[in-house]
Amino acid sequence: MKKLIFTVLFLLSSPAWAQLSVFACEPEWASLTEELGGDDVSVFSATSGLQDPHYIQARPSLIAKARQTDLLVCTGAELEVGWLPLLQRKAGNPNIQIGAEGYFMAADYVRLLEKPVTVDRSQGHVHAAGNPHIQTSPVNIFKVAQALTERLKQRDPEHASNYEKRWQDFQQRWQTAMKQWQEKAAPLKGVPIVVQHKNWIYLTKWLGLNEVAVLEAKPAVPPTVKQLQSVVEKLKQTPAKMVILAAYQSPRATDWLVDKTGIKKVVLPFTVGGDKNSNNLFELYDDTINLLLDGAK
Amino acid sequence: MKSKKLLVLLMTAALSPVSPAFAGDIDDLKQEIAKMRADYEQRIQQLEQRLSDAEATTQAVADEVATAPEAPAPVASANSSNTFNPAISMVLNGSFNQYQNHADDYTIDGFNVQGEGGLDSEGFSLGESELTVSSNIDQLFYGQATLAVHDHDDETELEVEEAFIETLGLGNGLTVRAGRYYAPIGYLNERHSHAWNFADAPLIYRGLFGNQLSTDGVKLSYLLPTDYMFEVGTSVGNGDSYPGSGDHSGIGDWLVYAKTGGDIGIESSWQAGISHWRSSPDDRSYNGGHGHSHGDEEESSAVFNGDTDITNLSLVYKWAPNGNFRQENLTLISEFMYLHDDGNIRHGTDEFANYDGKQYGGYLEGIYQFNPQWRSGVRYDWLGSKHHASDDELLADAGLEGGRSHPQRTSAMVEYLPSEFSRIRAQINHDQSYSDDDWQMILQYTVSLGAHGAHQY
Repeated sequence: MKKLIFTVLFLLSSPAWAQLSVFACEPEWASLTEELGGDDVSVFSATSGLQDPHYIQARPSLIAKARQTDLLVCTGAELEVGWLPLLQRKAGNPNIQIGAEGYFMAADYVRLLEKPVTVDRSQGHVHAAGNPHIQTSPVNIFKVAQALTERLKQRDPEHASNYEKRWQDFQQRWQTAMKQWQEKAAPLKGVPIVVQHKNWIYLTKWLGLNEVAVLEAKPAVPPTVKQLQSVVEKLKQTPAKMVILAAYQSPRATDWLVDKTGIKKVVLPFTVGGDKNSNNLFELYDDTINLLLDGAK
Repeated sequence: MKSKKLLVLLMTAALSPVSPAFAGDIDDLKQEIAKMRADYEQRIQQLEQRLSDAEATTQAVADEVATAPEAPAPVASANSSNTFNPAISMVLNGSFNQYQNHADDYTIDGFNVQGEGGLDSEGFSLGESELTVSSNIDQLFYGQATLAVHDHDDETELEVEEAFIETLGLGNGLTVRAGRYYAPIGYLNERHSHAWNFADAPLIYRGLFGNQLSTDGVKLSYLLPTDYMFEVGTSVGNGDSYPGSGDHSGIGDWLVYAKTGGDIGIESSWQAGISHWRSSPDDRSYNGGHGHSHGDEEESSAVFNGDTDITNLSLVYKWAPNGNFRQENLTLISEFMYLHDDGNIRHGTDEFANYDGKQYGGYLEGIYQFNPQWRSGVRYDWLGSKHHASDDELLADAGLEGGRSHPQRTSAMVEYLPSEFSRIRAQINHDQSYSDDDWQMILQYTVSLGAHGAHQY
């Protein structure tokens, strides 16, 4: 009898039950949560590296996941404004409501750049809070990781020491990696580049790349031939080494420019899973820097 | 004198040979040791240099992390009453319509077209202008109201389309909503008309609801804790919106529904729903089969009393390469509805007939977005009905008779989307709702101002 009770108790306390269920809006946060949470969390990523995180619909599978979530880890800064509020409303889950312990927005922990002076839709799809694509700089990742560790401890105090241990380990590895990236990327300083969409500001600032032109004059509005022509003119004055775009974006505008000017095209993973070499956050930056160095040759 | 002596001395010193006086084993050894020492010292120096370099870079990284600006502290603004403004959005739309037949002649054989179910007026027409205000109310409630302004029979009408409160994260997948809302019957019914893929409602929506079925009541939904979405719910209302009718002291209509859906791989997703609505209309009037009821102008219209049941089946499938909806995507939607009236039809004081009627139909639409700014789609509507009355004359009075047993319509549209917030649409219908076939052309713009709209599935 005693044996039976113990068996039942053992089954009930199996780790699958104890895991903190995390809903990450983007793959970079899923990867970071896995680094910090290890076996203590089970992570679901709502989007993949090949999906534009803004144009997601509140589809049934996301509602089902949001219903059972203990902790939401998203970018915030209006990136998920089209679908996250719907999930919060439909899921009937108090854990993920605004301000709850289970509501973690990464953009709250870094200083956002490119906060528009005038917020007007004639300027394209601008984000009033600033540029939300913060995962393109490892400095931001570090800051978010620090805050996320605290949140994990708060949300799952039973395993607080595990999270602390993993944070210490991650911190060490991340700093070493950052040092290596910076050394390796030293030749990229001041290299002139063209970007297709304004989603690289944190990367260009970190590596000291020199952004000389943007193909999308207005964010998320496909550029007109006239706008592209003006970029060609600009490049005649100040030539650039390469044009960069994210894996999930349509290469049409970039291909046009490559065709006209023969400039090098570099498709960067943008986030974890953006290409086959970017399977975690470390690989993401390894790969990004390798691709940029190739482009700068 | 003195300087000359010094010069000579210096010169001798410079010229004197510096070679060792003698060579020997000890000297060799000394030299070797000195060389070794110099070697090691150089190596140690190099190591020290590398160490300090490494320390410097680590410090640099740490500094960078430390000096990276903190997220700005929330601005402690002065007391102000507008910081909690709700999200406000306005949808404007207008159209230019051309029909072969007269818009006023429009009817659907076997159905009674009521409310907004008819065609929009020909020529330039301002559609519905919708104002939506929404916000979290407090820790427990969310609220949303949608007011629509539109012209109806030369008068401008203000209509409360939706006005409800809803619980916010009640827990265990439960959500309660109260107020006026679109009944959770079918897929399109819960969406506002500007979010539809065509400028007009499917024929079955026109025929059964006069475009859309709204409820004043309470809705309860429960989301099961499963990996596939599975939601069940119920709604009770006052039963006064068509095809319901009349005052009910208690529950006038009720509805139960179940919805399920999920993903197939990373590129496809689907949702299926079933719902059943029931009401007992009290003097539901028939308006002689015309799209617009003329109220007082008609002496008296035939009325229905009895029970009405509607069953809906809906199926949605969506696909996008890599699941990335931004560039390209495909949407397939199909719904089927079946209405059963069981009761009687009265006309005036002397005409009466027992009545058993069935009205059914559905539509299938396919939309393909081939790049971020262009979409196109086709839709096919099909209807049918069976009416049995103890006195056929009353069917004629109710406008339920018609020459065509299976009204149908084929539509095609193409849309240009300058941004997420605007849309220009051209649509063509080949409408066979009644005996005269009609070709209809609709040019329409729809824009959204203010708060970002929701990406509803």
